Amino acid sequence: MTISVRTDRRLIRASALSERYILVSYVAPEAPPRAERLPVNVALVLDRSGSMSGERKFDLAREAVEQSLRMLHSDDHFALVVYNDEVNLLHASSFATPEAKRHALDALRDIGPSGSTDLCAGWMRGCEQIADRLDADGVNRALLLTDGLANQGTRDHETLVRHAGELRNRGIATSTFGVGSDFDERLLRDLAREGGGNFYFIENPTQIPDLLTSELGEALEIVARDVVLRVILPPGANAEPLNSYRHSRSGAELFNQNELRIELGDLVSSQDVRLAVRLEFPEGELGTASRVVLALEGRGIAEARQHIEWTYASTADNDAQSRDLEVDREVASLYAARARAEATEANRHRDFASARRVLERTADHIARYAGNDAELERLIDALHRDTARFAEREMTPLARKAAFFEAEVVAFRRTPEGKARRSPVRESVKPAEPRNGG
Amino acid sequence: MTDETSLDLSELSARADVSPRTVRYYIQQGLLPEPESRGPGAHYGPEHLDRLNLIRQLQREHLPLAEIRRRIDALSPAEIRRLATQTPKRAPSSASAYIRQVLSDASPRMLARASAEPTSANRSQWERITLAPDVELHIRRPLAREQNRMVERLLEAARAIYKENEP
Repeated sequence: MTISVRTDRRLIRASALSERYILVSYVAPEAPPRAERLPVNVALVLDRSGSMSGERKFDLAREAVEQSLRMLHSDDHFALVVYNDEVNLLHASSFATPEAKRHALDALRDIGPSGSTDLCAGWMRGCEQIADRLDADGVNRALLLTDGLANQGTRDHETLVRHAGELRNRGIATSTFGVGSDFDERLLRDLAREGGGNFYFIENPTQIPDLLTSELGEALEIVARDVVLRVILPPGANAEPLNSYRHSRSGAELFNQNELRIELGDLVSSQDVRLAVRLEFPEGELGTASRVVLALEGRGIAEARQHIEWTYASTADNDAQSRDLEVDREVASLYAARARAEATEANRHRDFASARRVLERTADHIARYAGNDAELERLIDALHRDTARFAEREMTPLARKAAFFEAEVVAFRRTPEGKARRSPVRESVKPAEPRNGG
Repeated sequence: MTDETSLDLSELSARADVSPRTVRYYIQQGLLPEPESRGPGAHYGPEHLDRLNLIRQLQREHLPLAEIRRRIDALSPAEIRRLATQTPKRAPSSASAYIRQVLSDASPRMLARASAEPTSANRSQWERITLAPDVELHIRRPLAREQNRMVERLLEAARAIYKENEP
């Protein structure tokens, strides 16, 4: 699999700083047939607090568990935890045999929603079950579903998010599912982001089974682990990702080791990865080239490398050069998502002036390079229209969550429901039915 | 030391840490081959010991006996030996240790930062583990490490009992 990279402009200024963008694309390899996949080790952790009785949330969660367990082979491990102010280990981690699944579902059938929400204890109990069976080469993941605020036990945002990161570093990922209007979207998003999993906003409880099984399905189709994109920069250059992945700048001060590391986490079969990076180049000698090297590496995939060069040119040549529209569109949509996320936060604090300012400023900025492109024009109009949504009255908690999630899926390049984007090639290449092993 | 190539029933069960009754039951169920000779002088070989060790390992993984038999039947004696003697893949203690610390020490420093719950520093919590449809074990957590180990053993024994009495 190869990386492809393009930039908005190929020339950089010899006598001033230049800001350029690159769009990096990569399609993850296809997973082997189902029968040969690596076993997974998962814990399903469900909030059973009183509020889960509304809108049949807990019934739907139960259904989601049943459908999820059907996806597991007897080589997989699973545990089932429900929590309110008490934690109830309904099924200690075991192989996912038909008998174990039956045991777990029987136990779940007797449980009804009540009490308050000790999110930390429930989640930790699930992770503990995973840790007991931790397979360094396999997929180890907790799926945490909640509809409320943590109101018992450890509730401190920073502490919980730190736990998520520490567990990720020790091989356990966390994905989170927030249902309805009462959960803390920033907490669940941060747990998933630091925890190396995915965050889902479930506006309508009927989506619970689809999204839970989809997330589990993705875990079953992981083809590459702990994937990192290294953006290796020339001396004096700087870089920042526009997407929201965890990232770090390393060795900026060391000669020849100026790089940005973007942590893409685990990639699923045929995942269509695309991310934008903002670059800053120092001045340079007219006619010489400046090169950026991209290296994508992770467990389970061969390292892929690519490079791209810019030429130092005069101001006049720089001003006259053509632009790559595809890069401009992707960059603009990421800035728009960022503006909406900031406007959502401003609205939360009833700071309507700031909400309006960030939307309008972003629209104006895009207008500077939009030219006559219809797609960019639409985006600019949408940002102006969004002032009515973000900058005139306080949003309902549900609307705020929807807006928050909308920006989030753009920043992580996932579908509007929060699922991984797959390369379309996959559909035509993959046989409709899994091949018979005999 | 006893010669490993030939053990009597009590030596075999002592080595494998199972009761003689269990050994007989496994033979009856086809999980273990018949001994070389019958009666009180019956002798068991290293293959019996390897199989017993592997069976116990798979039981800890919650596999029903029928499934264990299916898996073991597909293996050569050499493979059984390799699996029975390798140490099972354990969690790098770090993940478990981290979680244990979070769950059990839920350190007062951390809780202090979560405002408005002055009593939570010493909060304990009942955990219910469902052993069978009508049987639950209640544990008040946090537990000290030693106590935790005992509970784990208790659970293991309970699982084995339920397995043994499966139809």
